[in-house]
Amino acid sequence: MNLPNYFLVDLPPAASLSAELIREACQTLRKNRQTYLFHRDTAGMIRILAELGASWLDDQYPFRQAALEEGPETTGFSGPVLRQGLDAFFRQLTETNLRALVEQDLGHFERLDRLVSSEPERRNGIQAVATGPELLFHITAGNLPIPALMSMVLGLLTRSSQFVKCATGAAFIPRLFAHSLYELDPKLGACLEIAQWRGGASDWENLLLAEADCVTATGSDETIQALRRQMPPGTRFLAYGHRISFGFVCREELTPPGAKAWAAKAAHDIAAWDQLGCLSPHVIYVEREGRVSPEQWAEMLAAELARLEKTLPRGPAPLEAAAAIASRRAFYSLRAGASPDTRSWQSEGSTAWTVIYEADPRFQLSCLHRFIYVKGVEHLEEALQGVDALRGKVSTVGLAAGAHRLPELAQRLAMWGVNRVCPLGQMQQPPLTWRHDGRPALGDLVGWTQLEL
Amino acid sequence: MANAAFTLRKTGPFSHRFLVRKADLAVIADEVHGVIQKVAAGGPCPEEEFNALALRLAEAQLSHNPHLATFWKSAHNKPWNNWREIPPLPLEAFKHYEMTCLSPQARTNVFYSSGTTGQSRSRHWHCPDSLQLYRAAVKPWFAHHVLGNSVGPAPSARLFVSLTPPPDAAPHSSLVDMLDTVMKEWGLPESCFLGEVKQKGDWTLDLSKATGFLAGLAHAGQPVVLMGTAFNFVPWLDSLQERQMFIALPPGSRIMETGGYKGRSRAVPQTELHAALHQRLAVPYDGIIREYGMCELSSQAYDRIAFAPLTAPARFRFPPWVRVRILSPETGLDCPAGMPGLLCVYDLANVWSVMALQTADLAAHDETGFELLGRAAPAEPRGCSLMVTE
Repeated sequence: MNLPNYFLVDLPPAASLSAELIREACQTLRKNRQTYLFHRDTAGMIRILAELGASWLDDQYPFRQAALEEGPETTGFSGPVLRQGLDAFFRQLTETNLRALVEQDLGHFERLDRLVSSEPERRNGIQAVATGPELLFHITAGNLPIPALMSMVLGLLTRSSQFVKCATGAAFIPRLFAHSLYELDPKLGACLEIAQWRGGASDWENLLLAEADCVTATGSDETIQALRRQMPPGTRFLAYGHRISFGFVCREELTPPGAKAWAAKAAHDIAAWDQLGCLSPHVIYVEREGRVSPEQWAEMLAAELARLEKTLPRGPAPLEAAAAIASRRAFYSLRAGASPDTRSWQSEGSTAWTVIYEADPRFQLSCLHRFIYVKGVEHLEEALQGVDALRGKVSTVGLAAGAHRLPELAQRLAMWGVNRVCPLGQMQQPPLTWRHDGRPALGDLVGWTQLEL
Repeated sequence: MANAAFTLRKTGPFSHRFLVRKADLAVIADEVHGVIQKVAAGGPCPEEEFNALALRLAEAQLSHNPHLATFWKSAHNKPWNNWREIPPLPLEAFKHYEMTCLSPQARTNVFYSSGTTGQSRSRHWHCPDSLQLYRAAVKPWFAHHVLGNSVGPAPSARLFVSLTPPPDAAPHSSLVDMLDTVMKEWGLPESCFLGEVKQKGDWTLDLSKATGFLAGLAHAGQPVVLMGTAFNFVPWLDSLQERQMFIALPPGSRIMETGGYKGRSRAVPQTELHAALHQRLAVPYDGIIREYGMCELSSQAYDRIAFAPLTAPARFRFPPWVRVRILSPETGLDCPAGMPGLLCVYDLANVWSVMALQTADLAAHDETGFELLGRAAPAEPRGCSLMVTE
């Protein structure tokens, strides 16, 4: 798809980025925000975003077509994986959901438009209005495109001008999204800038850190730490560091038909975005003494992953990742030979999927690209002991549990420090209103002015 | 026949088998010694000879090492007719299992992989016979590449300086044992180790002492064979740079550098390291030889012959009693020339351990040798950075 030169990311590779270009871009963004964005209201913004979401679900939409046709080459995800992931996100982008997000995070639908009172505020004689930062700077990670899109959506809701920095090679989908916004509403598009460079080009980043009123960053803990050190005082910094997720299957669910159904759902969680997101499970804990044993369940999961590979094939793994998978497979096949407590199943002739069953409950970081551990445990407490080294870094737990056990398990996970609990099968599809790493994503962007009556 | 069966029963099946196996490995070791001597004298190790020895060695190791036997049996590809059918064992196995054919009583020494504190380390056990073979395997290929000794007459004595600690301080380093071996063979009496071992077992180098010592040699016009790991060289070169110092090592001096940092100094790209060695020590680029070795192997690869003109980019080569495969991690099949994959090494000198190994190093090969392209993410499941920072 030939895209016009609207953004820095559209510049031909030969035209190099410079500090001067970035500084000018920031000035233009602030000016355009004042002219085109600041005076818009939430209802209008939501209508546009919902229209954009609906367009992206339309098979005839050129941007969607470009994403699905050119995406496999540029993003490393197969067409079906991209389609599934993008659809899951854009299906969420509706007026109802966006309204729910504003109400949930800000307490009132018109909070960003004028002084208003929620019910408790009215009783206390308070009115308040929230305002977004003038210039938002997003530093997005490269593993999957959705967080960058979500950042842009949030920034539009707060009527901020935005500079989005993509990791090298990770700009393809965010760029298409930005162009689709530009096409729908050029004035909104003019309040957005998008560029890509390799992380660590600190001069440019420092310049933007100084220019921006608020910075969001997704990335490794080292990246976040380095940014935190460089952050000017007074700039709000919202950091989303490395998080891990896991699954948990209750023994009551392990009836022969139930176990298979949950295995299919778990396989979808592993296959979504090829397991590369923070919400993708590394390990699935399975309670012992169900009618299906953890080991049998691991075998069912392997069958489901094999089946899924036909309809939702994994993208090609980079050499280093394939090497890591091959090394680990060899290691576990050796261990499986030495002990009945370890077993493994894997795709033949490729690294497409791997299931490792281990009786040892200690948490294992997966090498991803659809490499999953299944571990047998007596109960949730044993699983939590196994994950203890990563306490505070757990994003999501996907639960396979009946209604009678769900409240107690979720409560325990919450007290332990898990940020999100969802049914197994939905780990990579958080609702639009989800609190990213336990924080209100929209609420964290705004500042408040209150009037006491 | 009846008598023979009776003898078997009388001695007991276990002890009988044990004796036979013992003899197997010792006999194979003798044959490998023969190959090494032949190569040292300029002879080849033809494919048929390598293949026959490799298959016999693998069979013998299989009967001594139950972990290895299980691993090889799980491949379900026996009987083997070609050494390429022997599945290479991942190096990780040396960290978690006793990958040796030596009984606990027979083990007299062990080489550990270098690793940072807290990581489990590979263990390669040795006995006097295996050490003898290790040292025999070290010498000809080192002489050929580092001493620039085309096979034939013994090289003349040299002054060796190693930046590693000496063997009595680092008895479990295969690298130090190797350097000690070549020093004993070809070293002038003043040859020495400059490194030390700190209390925690980390290697260290008294930078100013090293500078003084080598500056003295330079002043005396004595050519030197300087040897060390990349993480030995980097802090020393940094200190020379800080002090704006250059030490012009006399003509004929050469450097053997072996890679790997493992967090023990700042990591420097190889070209940058060699440029610094060249600038600070006045050693020409063709006098800087890279060595590739590890505690799990008994043989080493070198990327060039000192001062020999290169007709192509430098490539690592193992001696003829070693064969290399590059396996596609995706398919497990051999990579065609030029395509990167996991480096696997089949080392006949690994008689009492495991002769077929899969490293975590990514490499590509052509007819002249292989080049290293990086490392797979650690295969070891535990001890990832996320957990270490906890």
